Amino acid sequence: MSMSRRDELLAKLFAAEGKPSVLEGIKVVELSKSNLAGSMVGAMLRELGAEVVKVEPQGGDPAKDYSPYGVNVKGLGIPYLIENLGKKIVHLDLEQEDDREELRKLLVSCDVIIDALKPGYLDSLKLGYRDISRENQRVIYVAISPYGHFSEKAKEFLNVPDSDLTAQSYNGYPSIIGNPSVRPAPLRAGVWAAWMMAAISAIVGTLLALYERLRSGKGQFVDIATHETLAAIHMYPILVGFLFGRSRPQYGFIDYILYPFGIYKVKDGYITIATPFDTDFRALLKVIKRWDLEPDWRYAIDRVTDDIDRIVELEKELKKELMKYSARELIKKATRRAVLPMFRRLVGRPVVVRSYTLKEAIGEKHWYIRGSLFKVSVNGKELMIPNSPFRMSETPGKVPVERLKDILQ
Amino acid sequence: MSDYFEYVKKLFKSSEEKRDPPLKGIKVIELTHYIFGPTVGRVLAQFGAEVIKIEPPGEGDRFRLGAVWMRMHKKSSLHFLAINANKYFMTLDMRSPKAREILSKLIEKADVFVENLRAGLLDELGLGYLHVSRVNPRIIYVSCSGYGQYGPLSRAPSFDVSAQGVIGLAMKSGWPDVDEFYKLPDYFGDYFPAMVAVAAVLAALYHREKSGRGQYIDISQAESLFRFFYDITYLSLTGEEIGKTGNMDPLAITSGIFGTKDGKFVAVAIMDEEQLSAISKVIGVDLVNTYKSRFRSKECMNELNELISKWVSSKTLDEVLAHAKTYGFPASPVLTDLEVYKDPWRWERGSVIEFNDRIYGKVHIPGVPIHMSATPAKTKWLARPVGYHNKLILKKWLGYSDEEIAKLEKEGVIGYWDQHPGMCPPDTWSLDNDPVFRGEKDEYE
Repeated sequence: MSMSRRDELLAKLFAAEGKPSVLEGIKVVELSKSNLAGSMVGAMLRELGAEVVKVEPQGGDPAKDYSPYGVNVKGLGIPYLIENLGKKIVHLDLEQEDDREELRKLLVSCDVIIDALKPGYLDSLKLGYRDISRENQRVIYVAISPYGHFSEKAKEFLNVPDSDLTAQSYNGYPSIIGNPSVRPAPLRAGVWAAWMMAAISAIVGTLLALYERLRSGKGQFVDIATHETLAAIHMYPILVGFLFGRSRPQYGFIDYILYPFGIYKVKDGYITIATPFDTDFRALLKVIKRWDLEPDWRYAIDRVTDDIDRIVELEKELKKELMKYSARELIKKATRRAVLPMFRRLVGRPVVVRSYTLKEAIGEKHWYIRGSLFKVSVNGKELMIPNSPFRMSETPGKVPVERLKDILQ
Repeated sequence: MSDYFEYVKKLFKSSEEKRDPPLKGIKVIELTHYIFGPTVGRVLAQFGAEVIKIEPPGEGDRFRLGAVWMRMHKKSSLHFLAINANKYFMTLDMRSPKAREILSKLIEKADVFVENLRAGLLDELGLGYLHVSRVNPRIIYVSCSGYGQYGPLSRAPSFDVSAQGVIGLAMKSGWPDVDEFYKLPDYFGDYFPAMVAVAAVLAALYHREKSGRGQYIDISQAESLFRFFYDITYLSLTGEEIGKTGNMDPLAITSGIFGTKDGKFVAVAIMDEEQLSAISKVIGVDLVNTYKSRFRSKECMNELNELISKWVSSKTLDEVLAHAKTYGFPASPVLTDLEVYKDPWRWERGSVIEFNDRIYGKVHIPGVPIHMSATPAKTKWLARPVGYHNKLILKKWLGYSDEEIAKLEKEGVIGYWDQHPGMCPPDTWSLDNDPVFRGEKDEYE
């Protein structure tokens, strides 16, 4: 099958129009305030077709103000807008008996509860898992909070709200980002990495529980701690702690498992280089005509080292050399090295890919052929919104952009 | 009425009311390497699926060599052992038609197939979705790649870092005044998309219960990372890139990582007015009314950041955290690797565990941080050397006899490990005392 033929077939196979969703008929009640991680969970369930009611306090969810430099659409911040598209939003004052009763009715008749409020608050109103699961055995209760809903620590930090930055920090992420020779201080990841990982973990837990419920007929409690998921899924702090009994320093450009594995400046922009095997590294040296470096750096064990001072020598040489080329030249040369698949194992081939600024990235036509990004007109402005990453041939994830009008009421 | 936290703890920690694992009876075949594909199988296996990982004979998955600073533990990469825990290890030399036929037979019996090879490669071998679904219409087939299975970029090679680079994400972390940026570390561009793929598989399994049909799933690193990349929408609204903002989260009123009086670091994020009012009580200035008219402007962020920085520098870490607990604003210490590893809270929750493996002995590894009260995740064994379960799988799944298996070995259709760290068993292992290797006994019964 030729590639273009394959492309055609797959584009047809994955076309989303008129297809059902997985979670049609599943009712979700999301309780979140000042916690977009909880809204991300609700949003992804909604992408899969669930009906989501978001319960907010009277006066609304303060998270609607969270936005880069306050940029908003009709008073709604960007993440709030994206994560609450297509949800039904109700305002309740849980200090009032009537509103509590209204919420109770919702909870006893739903499939999934997302609790992104203060741990134990719903329980104190007799609306937590303890009480609701008695009446609604099938309920799946998904709690998302900084330290979870059990342990002394969870109790101790009960009043401390969540944020992505604090969650990143407790996962040890900022300790290894940055370049100590430039500025020896922890540095945050520039996206909500900790909240993303916690939200997707909560989704996995919810879907596991829903699937299991088909067999057992019973729900259960799923507990996600944002201060824990990132490090546990990456594993590195734990493996390094156990194997070496110490911590990694900030690692800048350098990598501790593969080297080189990073982004480098070239004449006309940036490229990514990865050399998974020693043969690939040697091929890279040939591409940039620096075979003289080969004897000292031949093996991964020479290049992957905890002696940063040593590896910086090679890093300097590579940086200097790569600046002599344009991205195109390097990509062409690296690709040409792979024309003999028979000898590929012997010849090696560095992975060289162009690296873009965001403006360049969203100009790439690939994303529009695949529908990875939507453009929607709002107030005479063209708004760009990412599509669901759940590309499924039978039950594709859907971002309900057509319901933008409802949320902007 | 017992204390809520005690009640929840009992729910999770007592053995009452535990049920069979969610994925009991689900059979998964994976043809994967590195991190993206194997992590999908890892999570499915932790929740009860039977996962067979297919590797080439000899060297196996090349990531068997991927160890932090190249440090091997008992001749294996602990990293590999943990990512591939609970799986069965089988080899097939895909160059041989017989091997492809065996794989076909395995897939026929499977519920899920996971691959993260170059897009289109399995189509070339006659093992793409369109072939496989004809043989097994209930198959849930997951292809994991950098940019997706179709479209002009689909042919480009990808690793975590290249996917981050192609979508402009790699340039997001760094100091605004330093001409350098840093990729998201620890292969976020593999792990996050892998979790997206796990979610898609579970959704497809749920759907199959109702419809009887499997499906094809196309998960890309780039699209997964796009999903929560709010800079895209900001750019479309303003025509500007946010770029690097150091430790300031531009979505907050103000935030940062600050040095304390006792030489430690603390992260503080003030996301909204309520939280600003809380920290105001500690600092003793009504920050809400002073700054209200200028909220979320860059100047306001910086001024508040200065104020908080000054306040933190006069307090110890414990004092800052005590105030956060009393008044209610987000604050957290900035942990190092070692502090994460030794954190008693993580041990109590089981996101770090001590595991005693039949072959590798006692190790400390992460647990799965998805805590389920009735169907908890479970680590049953660590990864195994290349080809270790060949006999077991061929007997158990396909009913092969010892003679047939010996013939396959002789013909090179299946094979075992190279004598190289990462691929081979530890020195303490002996063939004579291992009925699992001989296919006479399962790993876990």
